[in-house]
Amino acid sequence: MSVFSHLRERARALFGRDRMEHDLDDEMRFHIERDVEERVRQGTDPVTARRAAVMAVGGVEQQKERVRDARGVGVLENLGADLRFALRALRRDPIFSVAAALVLALGIGAASAVYGIADAVLFASLPYPEPDRIVRVYQKYSNDNMFGLSMVDVMAIAEQQHSFSAFGVMRPGSGSVSAANATPEQRGIGRATSGFFTVLGVTPAAGRLLQPSDETPGAPQVMVLTHAQAVRWFGAPERAVGQAVQVDAVPYTVVGVLPPNVTNLAGWSPAMWAAMPLTPPQRRGPFGIRAFGRLKDGVTMESATRDLGSISERIFPIWKSSFRDSTSRLTPVDLRQAILGAESPRQVGLLAAGVFLVLLVAVANVAMLMLVRISAREPELAVRTALGASRWRLGRLLAGESIVLGAVAAVLGFALAVLILRLAPSFMPTLPRISNVSANARVAVAAAGAGLVSAVVAMISPMLSVLGRPVTSIVADRRVGAGKRTDRMRSVLVATEFGLALPLLFGAGLLFNSFVRLQRVNPGFNPDGTVAVSIGLPLARYQDPAAGLRFWRELESRVRSAAAFSTAGVSSNLPPTDAQDINNFDLKDKPVPPGGNEHLPPWMGASNGYFEALAIPLIEGRLFTPSDTGGNFPVAIVSQSWAKKYYPEGGAVGKQFISGGCTTCPLMTVIGVVGDVKYMGLGSSSDAVYEPLTQYLPSSANLVARVRGSTPSAGSFKALREIVGSMDPQIALVETTLRDEVDRSLDDPRRFATILGSFAFTTVLLASVGIFGLMAYTVRTRRREIGVRMALGAQPGSVVGMIVARGMRYAIAGSVIGIGIALLGGRWLRGFLFGVGSTDPATLALVTITLLTAATLACWFAARRAARIHPVEAIAGN
Amino acid sequence: MAGSDLYTGTLDLLILKAVSWGPRHGYAIGRWIRETTSDVLNVQEGALYPALHRLERKRLLEEEWRESETGRQAKYYSLTPAGRTHLRAERRRWEEYSGAVARALATT
Repeated sequence: MSVFSHLRERARALFGRDRMEHDLDDEMRFHIERDVEERVRQGTDPVTARRAAVMAVGGVEQQKERVRDARGVGVLENLGADLRFALRALRRDPIFSVAAALVLALGIGAASAVYGIADAVLFASLPYPEPDRIVRVYQKYSNDNMFGLSMVDVMAIAEQQHSFSAFGVMRPGSGSVSAANATPEQRGIGRATSGFFTVLGVTPAAGRLLQPSDETPGAPQVMVLTHAQAVRWFGAPERAVGQAVQVDAVPYTVVGVLPPNVTNLAGWSPAMWAAMPLTPPQRRGPFGIRAFGRLKDGVTMESATRDLGSISERIFPIWKSSFRDSTSRLTPVDLRQAILGAESPRQVGLLAAGVFLVLLVAVANVAMLMLVRISAREPELAVRTALGASRWRLGRLLAGESIVLGAVAAVLGFALAVLILRLAPSFMPTLPRISNVSANARVAVAAAGAGLVSAVVAMISPMLSVLGRPVTSIVADRRVGAGKRTDRMRSVLVATEFGLALPLLFGAGLLFNSFVRLQRVNPGFNPDGTVAVSIGLPLARYQDPAAGLRFWRELESRVRSAAAFSTAGVSSNLPPTDAQDINNFDLKDKPVPPGGNEHLPPWMGASNGYFEALAIPLIEGRLFTPSDTGGNFPVAIVSQSWAKKYYPEGGAVGKQFISGGCTTCPLMTVIGVVGDVKYMGLGSSSDAVYEPLTQYLPSSANLVARVRGSTPSAGSFKALREIVGSMDPQIALVETTLRDEVDRSLDDPRRFATILGSFAFTTVLLASVGIFGLMAYTVRTRRREIGVRMALGAQPGSVVGMIVARGMRYAIAGSVIGIGIALLGGRWLRGFLFGVGSTDPATLALVTITLLTAATLACWFAARRAARIHPVEAIAGN
Repeated sequence: MAGSDLYTGTLDLLILKAVSWGPRHGYAIGRWIRETTSDVLNVQEGALYPALHRLERKRLLEEEWRESETGRQAKYYSLTPAGRTHLRAERRRWEEYSGAVARALATT
């Protein structure tokens, strides 16, 4: 016995279904034979007797069917048979089956992929012990203005707090790093206190983590490497401990290595963590430190908020001279929420809403296809009814088909989700935690669930159509097609598709519109032909400001005189999105009222060459001169927007302000106004303040150079590397072109417009296919009527017009509802829009026209068949 | 689906009664009902077999394949203990019911 037939035997014994069918046959046969014998004995001829006997039981098949129903039968017992049967029925109609499965799979795949993204980005808990107890502490000015902490705040919290079992801080940064004699590379370096690791509950894979003694100013410089960096440099974590490493030419000793799975700590992934010295502060600022605490058992968020709030009040008077915002409070925020920010939940929400609409339209489409198919199958269903299938049984048949479709679609959909999730991190790199997405078991369950729910929802209306009317009417209705009820259901489904497609198309339209407007924004500089390298100066050798200044000046002049470049300059911020620093100021003649918040524009040090290299025009006043050396007469250049915002009456040049809340520092004087440049994104305002490098000397800045000719090439960067290398071989460069920076700043809007656009395209396609299917069906069932009309002299054109008009009724009805939904739902997109309202009438008109054009085309394709109907054949045919 | 003159539930009662003396096959059960009620209750086969299978599913009847009086294999039904209890209870109910109806109709 082969394995297979053996298994077959086993299965049969197990399910006993075949046996039951067999018994039923035998039982019926026995009954009829006995009856025939009896009748023959009474004198009837055998043939008549047999017929009478069969009549008496009311037909063998019907009788068997009734017995099966009486046995109960079984949902479970019959499920297998129903599914097998469904599979056969689906195989007989491959076009329908493949189309329906693919449509559902598309919806399910997209939906479960977005679920996977939401799961990884929003829902997954942080990979630390008791992650819900961890908070990040912010300096909160208002709900939209939350900043890091200054050393003053950090030390005050460390001394006075009662809420945390552990408290630690870190500051992101980067530097030129090297081990042994390897060439330096620019890597991310976190500066952290020992408490930071305690808060997160991290333990080392080798050596030790940081400890409090490492934080005392003057302690030996030590650091902890990530596993990857340790392996890269030393081959194994154990071998890294005790090794010397250079950071910006300062020697550090590696004391420990993190476990391989710990790459991201509190939302940031540097290559190494160095001890942060807790140097006593001179003023309250700058605010670049990220603080974290682990709530003690029993301490709630509210009590921690009160605790930190009272610390804010206590330290405010002490540091009033450098920090004057009395309303700002130290505030704890759940760490996961802090990492996610306000933006990413909204972005994932947008994806989810879009994908939900796609899935709904796909389900409506499949339901519609099923309804159409039922009508096409009425002869078959009628025969089944005549053979004794109950209505209930027909319903089961449909359910079986629907479930099989749903299951197939779920499998295909999961495969699609796997593909999408693999691409997701590279497609949406700005979402936090996106690198954690994987097509895991939960995504598979989501796909299966979506498949089941879609199958159930898709079969509701076909079910109602079959169960809702007497079976006999299926036979009676045959000539004229389906009943009114089924017709109405089909129309409602098609209208629904349009009602859902329109809002999605509108949303995509708004995003595209915003994107185009954003693209047209004048960034305030000429990004073409401009290259930039970002350089972090090794602090050890450039601690003296004069040395730093010398370096930048030397670099600028060498690049300017190089043959490859026409002009060059230095700036600490790089447009359009890299505002490294923002700073508060208070105008001397228009001070912020007590309790108010000071303004916070992008703030930077720049050389005159920077304005030249980016072609930023001087509008008023003058640029910097060599005599602008800070001291008691600090100067600043402001942007035109700044000047117009604070001095709409004009005359900004010569005005004075307090910078950074330093009331004891000399006032800064505005000496010039330059053209607007975007530093906080193309959609933001163009406020900006520039100081000369003599006043504002960053350890990390950008050299910007305009290339001769028009396009930057690999050679441009090579030239820059050579110049920097000849000045200081220890320095690493990060290279970019400003065209790339501008393009990158448009990445997110472009992505979301593209994603929503592809969702919208899909639904429009589905809705068009849906209405095409419905109208093609209408043409088929009304063949005879159309034939008669044409025989009576109707032109093909008018027949086509009639069909198209009928289809457009559904499309227009759906679109009207869709417009309502779109206008209500548009509000929700407001945060994603730039320069366009959430109810923009032009966009709405455009998408409505687009959708209705697609519908018209689909109807027309279906109606064309009507025009080809040959009157005589149609009337003569059945 | 029972004959119009067969009260609902009566068919089940009669079937149980029919097999109370020993196993019978479906044909014999139908015939017994017809004959003992003098053709007054004409059980249609269309109702008989579903009822048999229904009772079997309720575990009031059990089945057994054995050789029939004509030498062919036939499916025999017999009462289970539960079926016997059920028959007794149903019979008492029926007697009370029919007695009550008869008394009511007898009053002048």
